Amino acid sequence: MPVVSPIFAACWLPGLTLAEPVHFSLVEKLLLAALIAASGWLFWRRFGVIARRILAARKDADFHLFPLGRRCWDFFWEVLCQAKVIRERPLPGLAHAFVFWSFLAFALVTANHVATGFGVGFLDPGGFFGRLYFLIAAIFALACAVSIAGLFVRRFVVRPVWLAHKDKTVSWESGVIAGLIFLLMATYLGAYFVPDGSLAVRLLWWAHTLTLLSFLPLVPHTKHLHLILSPVTVFLSRGGFSEIPPLADDDDFGLVTGKDVTQLTALQVYSCVECGRCTEHCPAANTGKELNPREIILGLRGYLNEFGPASEESLLGRWNSQQAAFQCTTCGSCEFQCPVGIEHLPVIVGLRRGAVNTGEWEDEHGGKLFLALERSGNALGMAHSEREKFMAREELPMFDGSQEYCLWLGCMGGYDPKGREIIRSFVEVMRYLGTSYGVMRREKCTGDPARRLGNDLVFQQLAEANLETLAQNKVKKIVSICPHCVRTISEDWKAYGTPPEIEHHSEFLARHQARLPKSAASQTGQTGQTVFHDPCYLGRYRNVYEEPRAIVRAHGDLVEAERSRERSFCCGAGGGLAFLGEEQGARVSETRVEQLVATGATTIGAACPFCNTMFRDALASRGEGAPQLLDIAQIAAAALPTSVKESDSLNMQEERREEK
Amino acid sequence: MKIIVAIKQVPERDARIRIDSAGKWIALDEIEFRMNESDAYALEEALLLKEAHGGEVVVLSAGPERVGQTIREALAKGADRGIHIASDKLGEYDALGVARLMAAAIADEQADLILTGLQSDDLGLGQTGVILAELLGIPHSSLILKIEKTEAGIRVLRELEDGWFQHIEMTTPALLTIQSGNTRLRYATLMGIKKARSKELRVVEADAISVDAARCVSLDSVALPSRQKTTQMLTGTPAEAAAALVEKLQQEVRVL
Ligand code: SF4
Ligand code: SF4
Repeated sequence: MPVVSPIFAACWLPGLTLAEPVHFSLVEKLLLAALIAASGWLFWRRFGVIARRILAARKDADFHLFPLGRRCWDFFWEVLCQAKVIRERPLPGLAHAFVFWSFLAFALVTANHVATGFGVGFLDPGGFFGRLYFLIAAIFALACAVSIAGLFVRRFVVRPVWLAHKDKTVSWESGVIAGLIFLLMATYLGAYFVPDGSLAVRLLWWAHTLTLLSFLPLVPHTKHLHLILSPVTVFLSRGGFSEIPPLADDDDFGLVTGKDVTQLTALQVYSCVECGRCTEHCPAANTGKELNPREIILGLRGYLNEFGPASEESLLGRWNSQQAAFQCTTCGSCEFQCPVGIEHLPVIVGLRRGAVNTGEWEDEHGGKLFLALERSGNALGMAHSEREKFMAREELPMFDGSQEYCLWLGCMGGYDPKGREIIRSFVEVMRYLGTSYGVMRREKCTGDPARRLGNDLVFQQLAEANLETLAQNKVKKIVSICPHCVRTISEDWKAYGTPPEIEHHSEFLARHQARLPKSAASQTGQTGQTVFHDPCYLGRYRNVYEEPRAIVRAHGDLVEAERSRERSFCCGAGGGLAFLGEEQGARVSETRVEQLVATGATTIGAACPFCNTMFRDALASRGEGAPQLLDIAQIAAAALPTSVKESDSLNMQEERREEK
Repeated sequence: MKIIVAIKQVPERDARIRIDSAGKWIALDEIEFRMNESDAYALEEALLLKEAHGGEVVVLSAGPERVGQTIREALAKGADRGIHIASDKLGEYDALGVARLMAAAIADEQADLILTGLQSDDLGLGQTGVILAELLGIPHSSLILKIEKTEAGIRVLRELEDGWFQHIEMTTPALLTIQSGNTRLRYATLMGIKKARSKELRVVEADAISVDAARCVSLDSVALPSRQKTTQMLTGTPAEAAAALVEKLQQEVRVL
């Protein structure tokens, strides 16, 4: 223990003893008691209101405490270790962590400090444990003082744009709080430098006490409320990523009025620390749209402050706008980044549900999409026969229960020209590997765009119809080229039945990598590097980052964009937005393509047919010299020997002729 | 304003059509059904009129039990109540017979306006609505794109051939058959479906209505359109062949 032993040794240095006042007069004791009572009362006057508001909200019908293990781990990792706080913003994150850890260390110090005032101090500054503990606390105090000073400079001098409010001001309370924390630490450390029994000791003690007692009531009045709420919020969070809670009963249509706000949501909106991490990563906020995830959360808080959780006032109105709610691509960056466990997507999708399930949302493109899903069962509104023609042309076998995989075409794979190319390449690979697969004639859209846009009726109809067809066909395993299909089938359909096992083709390809030919970059005509774009629904939603990279690496040089993996920036298509009209501000797809092109790569590797169409359009506007765009299936298929491809399909033709 | 909308349930657009064993109609098992498209527009017009001027929208449909689902869908989109003429052998009636059933079923309704789609997506006769107006003795107008309420009755926009339109002033009660595509259809909502559950749906047994069921039109047989691939050689000088090709692309294939 190389660090600890010097501390032990230092304990016995004569100068390193904390000075504490002794013998408080009765007047002092009474004064202390009165001040504590006043401070506590001021604290409760605000905190009580908030606590009651949270408790008065509707209960979360689907809440359950299990699995406890996951909750404890999240608490340990995100609260105690401050992992999320540090990961994304290492320096300020670490500074914050030191402030937090010092607070923990100070719990005992503070209890002893107050007890001393009443003559019942329990830590002896001269005893072994007291000396040791005070010294450890002093080290933390030092780190804390430096950290808080640093954070103060960052907020008020450096001024990162994400910390500013809507009106570009920085909260002055944060400055006051930082000052108080600094003072707390300084008045504690000061006691090491004053002689025992002197007046200075007594003054320092009172200064520390007064700082503490002024700090307390400020907590519930400012964003520092997160000190108390966020550990609870992290522990109680829904757990699933972008988890959309089931509708509670026949009168539940999503977030329509204050009555629909649940306790968990209320707890979360009061925990927001206004750090702006969500906004910093939001593709909508970064391209000049009205949507700003922090303001969605703070808007809901404003609503609860003004109207309370029993109000029948519409949630979309003064505090949050419908336009903003429908600009979200459901990329999940905000929820992923939030250090206090706020789940934005249940809120944003909840607001959309409220507007769509009641018919409030009127949008030309959105209406068309829903009608297309209602009437044609696919998001593109194309005739079913088009899909069958494609299946016949590509000689895709029908799924009949004997094959290993049901190949899920999805709307893009079944109808979109670019999506069909991906299917074609993936099928080539499966044929090469000898994997048996089949396609279902009666496959419909998974309902992903309806789900994300908040149309529970269409989503339920599609999910149920598909689940029934899959059961009839006795499908056990599905493979899909679309991360949206994968997520919706594996998670969202659970509300209506038990979906079969499903995997994304990147997972399939990576598993069979060893049996697939590798290619030197030159062989496939791929000179230069490939940048892989992580689709939101594959990365953040499914935690699949390595598999697609393994495929890219086998066929060329991989480079990373500045925002990649869990920080990947959306292509703009998610959340049903691919089907809605023109965007406000800059196009998300163009912004992302800009970032990918900046790597200097000559190929953009994609793993989602939606990213693919978005990038195709954005690249088209760049003209000559734009990098080529390939799905990982196309990259893998390009390395298959041409002779194999031809003879394979020849074999198949032979077989078919013989069958006839 | 009290508006009755007559809607028909038809096989979905892309259904895989097979002819049934008797050869007189298509096989209906394995087929999904939808609301007839122009009827959906008729319903939308009725709902818009109700939203603007108040009143009641009643949907009327005939057919077997499954038709109830289409009526529910109309109720979910905002219609107030439904009338279902229940019959498992509606195919035995011709357009006149169906119109007679409908006339009888709504005899007591005293509607101001009756809307239907222009024609059905399956048979495409365009007759039932017009005959119904005759049976009820009220004026009618077909191919309607727009309806406005006026002091005296209604003013409608009617589509003619070749991009021509006609405005007609009519008194009510009247019957209009509605052309597709002029308004934006609303989507069905969860709230609508839930509300529809408690709306009135009156079932009238077709057998209990005494109408003259004698057919004046009968359907002998149906057949799938045959598709043949033929090859034509265009002969002559290159210039002639090119001219002939352009002509064919324009007139026969209609791609130019
Ligand atoms: S919602 Fe979370 S990430 Fe966004 S500002 Fe609040 S605390 Fe920060
Ligand atoms: S999910 Fe993505 S687009 Fe939506 S608010 Fe969050 S960060 Fe912005």
